[in-house]
Amino acid sequence: MRRWAAWAPGLADAEAWQAWAKEPRPIGCEGSPEARFLPPLLRRRCTALSRAMLQVAFEGCPAEERSEVRTVFASRHGENKESFPLFEAIAKGQPLSPAKFTHTVHNAQAGLFSIASGNRQASSSLSGERDTFASAFLEALTHLEREPTRSVLVVMGDVAIAPLFAPLLDESEAAYAVALLLSREGEGTKLGFELVPGTKERGAGGARPDLAWPQALEFVRWLHCERTPRLELGVGPRTFRWHRR
Amino acid sequence: MGAHAPCRLRALGMVNALGARPDEIWQGLLAGDQSRLTRREDLVPGRSLLVGEVRSPLPEIPTTLRRYRCRNNALSLAALFALEAELEAVIGEVGRGRVGVVMGTSTSGVSDAEAALRHNAAHGVLAPGFDYPQLEFGGAAGFVAAYLGSEGPVYTLSTACSSGARALASARSLLALGVCDAVVAGATDTLCGLTTNGFCALQAVSDELPNPMSANRKGLTLGEGSAILLVTREEGGIQLEGVGESSEAHHMSAPDPAGGGAESAMRGALRDAGLAPADITYVNLHGTGTPLNDAMESAAVVRVFGEEVPTSSTKALVGHTLGAAGAMEAGFCWMMLARASEGHVALLPHVWDGRRDTALARLRLVDKGERARVEGRVHLLTNSFGFGGNNCALVLGRELAC
Repeated sequence: MRRWAAWAPGLADAEAWQAWAKEPRPIGCEGSPEARFLPPLLRRRCTALSRAMLQVAFEGCPAEERSEVRTVFASRHGENKESFPLFEAIAKGQPLSPAKFTHTVHNAQAGLFSIASGNRQASSSLSGERDTFASAFLEALTHLEREPTRSVLVVMGDVAIAPLFAPLLDESEAAYAVALLLSREGEGTKLGFELVPGTKERGAGGARPDLAWPQALEFVRWLHCERTPRLELGVGPRTFRWHRR
Repeated sequence: MGAHAPCRLRALGMVNALGARPDEIWQGLLAGDQSRLTRREDLVPGRSLLVGEVRSPLPEIPTTLRRYRCRNNALSLAALFALEAELEAVIGEVGRGRVGVVMGTSTSGVSDAEAALRHNAAHGVLAPGFDYPQLEFGGAAGFVAAYLGSEGPVYTLSTACSSGARALASARSLLALGVCDAVVAGATDTLCGLTTNGFCALQAVSDELPNPMSANRKGLTLGEGSAILLVTREEGGIQLEGVGESSEAHHMSAPDPAGGGAESAMRGALRDAGLAPADITYVNLHGTGTPLNDAMESAAVVRVFGEEVPTSSTKALVGHTLGAAGAMEAGFCWMMLARASEGHVALLPHVWDGRRDTALARLRLVDKGERARVEGRVHLLTNSFGFGGNNCALVLGRELAC
């Protein structure tokens, strides 16, 4: 992992994240970064989720590489909240705004990043229930498999979902985005990753389905805890394991 | 072939407007049957919309999985039924821990969420039985994994109309990485208010029969369905030989008019497969029937392959199944290869009004009943170009005994 960046309400720089890693607390749902680097026309159309994901994507990838990396954009909920007014419009028989429809598709952030950075490389957008972050990491490895010499930028983010659906949700909500720049070779933190089928092998301090903050931020916390050799995440009948090499 | 680990597309399950049984769908494809496209009055206000709706009865999702109960997952289950024997055999061989699931969708259970919200508007509560996993994108793969008891990787790709093609690309890489030994990979999409109204708002939808590549083309016809393949790291049979991907850095809802992204995806797939353009026997076009797509795609195909390669758009028969289309059309190519024999492969006809648009690059469009003579290995290419400029081309191939 060559570089990372993260944003959450009140947590915008490396120092803030270091402090949070020492004393983690639940993440809020309010606010979004300004993403001032975006051209005004594009920025005006960006949702809160798009601003957060593009903010960390730009911070997590050096300018000279932004048009060259493959990308994986991941979000469990995507634009659920922004889609809600569209559902209401449909229920009332009102016409949809084409721009709003376009900006609520699940790969909206991938499209925006491609346009904002002039990137013409392969890009995935995915979702994987409560294991979305680990799935995004794995999808990035599939890109490294397809093209071993090119770096992959993983961008994971979520915001609160529509209030009407929120009571149905099986994990706490948070607004945040995390970007990781991964490559097979080069400087940075050397990571190993494996997927262990089943739940039996989870060791003590292993996968924690009851985390009060998103998996991606638990990963960020682990990056700061250099004396902890392993991280295990996973909610379903499978465990994702990272270790420092 | 390129330097890849083998990637066998071992079995296919499919449901779409043409039916739920492989032979039924195959006969519909060969006959160029547009009679299954029907009208729906309830999707877009004031508009009688021609759609490729699945009319076959769908299986019921088991009670233990009711949190996933939605039309999108019922379509997936219908496709899985056709795969059942092969699935059981492979799961028995490799174990549940070595089976992954990668699905594509652009809708997930949006149509059920719309119904839940109508219930909420009338009664002040969401429809009983509605649950979040029906709506979230991850639920599309989550359901298939829960149904199969898979303990391998499970996720859903949603890159608009290239989702299904991309699911197959990821499946191949997961096998090459050794993360699993079999992947259930495919895609499912459902007709719903959100996408029909959205595409109508973008003025992309035609009120007439789909007419791809014609001077009279007026836009696309939306469809629904599911195509799921069982993918293994085995030699032989039908192989996924090449994957080509690109983004366009152009526009959120319109393709690059020059077709640069489409061309780069096709050339990437050929390079990845270690093939020359002349090795391709047939190209299944993205062929949506919108003025822009057909203009840029015909230009890109002719730049890569010249004017002689046989091509067709099967969207004229089943509609544009959006997130499912990439897997659906890879599935059609799979059927062509599975049924090829004695040095011949039946080509899928291009159904249209025959009025050539002279402003378009000149494609060779397949007529009904055409076959191609092939020797040795036969290779087919299928194109998927997504909203947001997300493209994926796949090459499928098989060794033919003459």
